[in-house]
Amino acid sequence: MTATATRNRPGLRPAPRAADILPRLIAPLVLAAIMLAFSVLTPTFLTGDNLLAVLNQTAILALVAAGMTVVVRSGGIDLSVGVALDLAALAAAAAIAERYVPWVAVVVGLAFGLAVGLVNAFLIVVLRIPPFLATLSVWFIGTSVQQLLTGGGAPIYLVRSQVPEGFALWGNGYLLGVPFPVVAAVLVAGVVYLALDGTRWGRELTVTGEQPGASRISGKRVGALGASAYVLAAGVAALAGVVLASRTYAFIPASGQLYVMDAIGAVFIGATLSKYGRVSVPGTMVGVLIFALLANGMNLAGLSFFWQGLARGLALLLVLLLGVVLARQRTSRVRPPATATTAVPARKG
Amino acid sequence: MSTAAATPQTGAAQRAPRRGAPAWLSWAGYATVLAVVLALAASSPNFLVPANLAAVLNQAAVYAIAGFGLAVVIVTGGDDVVDGGIDLSVGAVAGLAGTVAAVASQAGLPPVASIAGALAVAAAAGTVNGAAVVLGLRPLLTTLATMGIAGSLTLVISNNVKVPFTGAAFEWLRDGSLAGLPVAVVVMLVLFAVVGLGLGSTSWGVRSYAVGQNPTAAKVAGINPRKYIFNSYLISALLAGIAGLLLSARLSAAVPGVGNQILLDIILVAFMSVVFSRRLVVTITGTLVAALFIAALTNGFTLLGVASQWVGAAKGVLILVVLAVVAIRGRSDAK
Repeated sequence: MTATATRNRPGLRPAPRAADILPRLIAPLVLAAIMLAFSVLTPTFLTGDNLLAVLNQTAILALVAAGMTVVVRSGGIDLSVGVALDLAALAAAAAIAERYVPWVAVVVGLAFGLAVGLVNAFLIVVLRIPPFLATLSVWFIGTSVQQLLTGGGAPIYLVRSQVPEGFALWGNGYLLGVPFPVVAAVLVAGVVYLALDGTRWGRELTVTGEQPGASRISGKRVGALGASAYVLAAGVAALAGVVLASRTYAFIPASGQLYVMDAIGAVFIGATLSKYGRVSVPGTMVGVLIFALLANGMNLAGLSFFWQGLARGLALLLVLLLGVVLARQRTSRVRPPATATTAVPARKG
Repeated sequence: MSTAAATPQTGAAQRAPRRGAPAWLSWAGYATVLAVVLALAASSPNFLVPANLAAVLNQAAVYAIAGFGLAVVIVTGGDDVVDGGIDLSVGAVAGLAGTVAAVASQAGLPPVASIAGALAVAAAAGTVNGAAVVLGLRPLLTTLATMGIAGSLTLVISNNVKVPFTGAAFEWLRDGSLAGLPVAVVVMLVLFAVVGLGLGSTSWGVRSYAVGQNPTAAKVAGINPRKYIFNSYLISALLAGIAGLLLSARLSAAVPGVGNQILLDIILVAFMSVVFSRRLVVTITGTLVAALFIAALTNGFTLLGVASQWVGAAKGVLILVVLAVVAIRGRSDAK
């Protein structure tokens, strides 16, 4: 016990040994291996244009995953970020179709997404429904709401020439030669990173996620912290929705849910980078890049889209399993018993 | 005399407060189901027709069978969703099993071989899930990964087109009847009896509940939690495979992407079962009742001409009601 206690306390440990670091390097090593493999396999992979295109395609997943990181750090999970994304895209596209000015469309889109976050926060913080199931039911209801609002799930297509430039820029503009979605993703990821790891709010959120009971006793406003995580995640997803609607000049129902599973996978791949199995924005971005480069490389190598789920699933399993197996050789942590709804999240792979 | 009179009183006073929900709650669950079914019967003359009831049972069979498997996983892993037992791959494995059987029978394999192949593939998925979870991966992530893998394999095998499910054996699965009941319903009832009795009244079942509710205590008591956890994922995948076969037989084809559509309903059915249990835990009987209820609701809404969009909303609200009930349990336990 003493050995474990000392080991878990930062600052008391001598310089890390290679065996301690190795499990945490798996995700970056996998990323490097993917880049190496595809740059050998396809000549066009490692070109500036292609990599910029990859980043551009990844921006939406990166945004969603950055928001998911906050929720997971707070000890929860959010399956409904796709709904927030979809409703934001729907509201923004509908507003543009009705000839509203761009900023109104963007604000309406963000408001719709934030509403989803507020519903989640109410269900989870006020009614104390477990996050997985609360956000699962919001997913059900949100999917229905989309279908009801679009007359049974009909897509909304915007006429490209009639979309005002102020709205088209969100998905198709460039800032100093960098696509706007990439700029947005980098900015949001940076802000979320600083907020999580550099502010009092971030520290309190982390503590609340890892020891809800202790942080409640020590007088933290646990409810408000949790609520802020869900609202923030939904807000970031809503931004992603606006970018998606602008980029595709359309709203296609249920397109947001595609990002949820990848975002969760990326967040937990990122957790393997941390000594404490703690999720973080830089780690999440490594996970996002693994998924993105894998998809792009497979496209360039001419593999059918059908194989991509397989590759992603295998990459996810591989990274997590290696992380768990290597970490297990290092320490054997006591797994807290899984109690009912209020279980302290055991940080595992 | 006086001591004899006093003893029962002290006995009553010392009895520990009963765990779980007040007794009326489980009856409230059944009463709600009965009320909804009666309302549907009253508003649509076609609802209580034998042919329609058979259709409801047929629809319920797929959800119930896969739900039994998920229930076993939740029982053995604990009902905390992020760290406890969950199997997100049930839907995808069901879809994959149906596709494997359809493709195999198209290739000319006899029905027995195609079904065996499908179940072997399902068992392989369950083995991967079980092994990874036992190694220490979160069930949520493990089964998320296998869900992606199984979904992708389904696309690869079927080439993303509907594979017709032909052959006398599969037509019998769809249209045949045993003892006056559709085959799928008989399969559901048999599996209900096997899994229900197994979980309710064998040492395996009691130990599975023990592992799920407190793995440390179970370990101290000499139970090997890993064995039970591994087996729960294997059982879940096998039952998902059977559900997938029945679903493909009912649709007369293996439809790619059907797995993701049924996943949420399976999760709903398994978690809804807590409402029908006095101790508010996941049970097999509750899963069966929940599956029948969801199938009746979907069917009734269709008969009444309610747009299908509302069915999803109704299910979402249902889960929330269920969870509000569970949250009541959480609070009364904390007091």
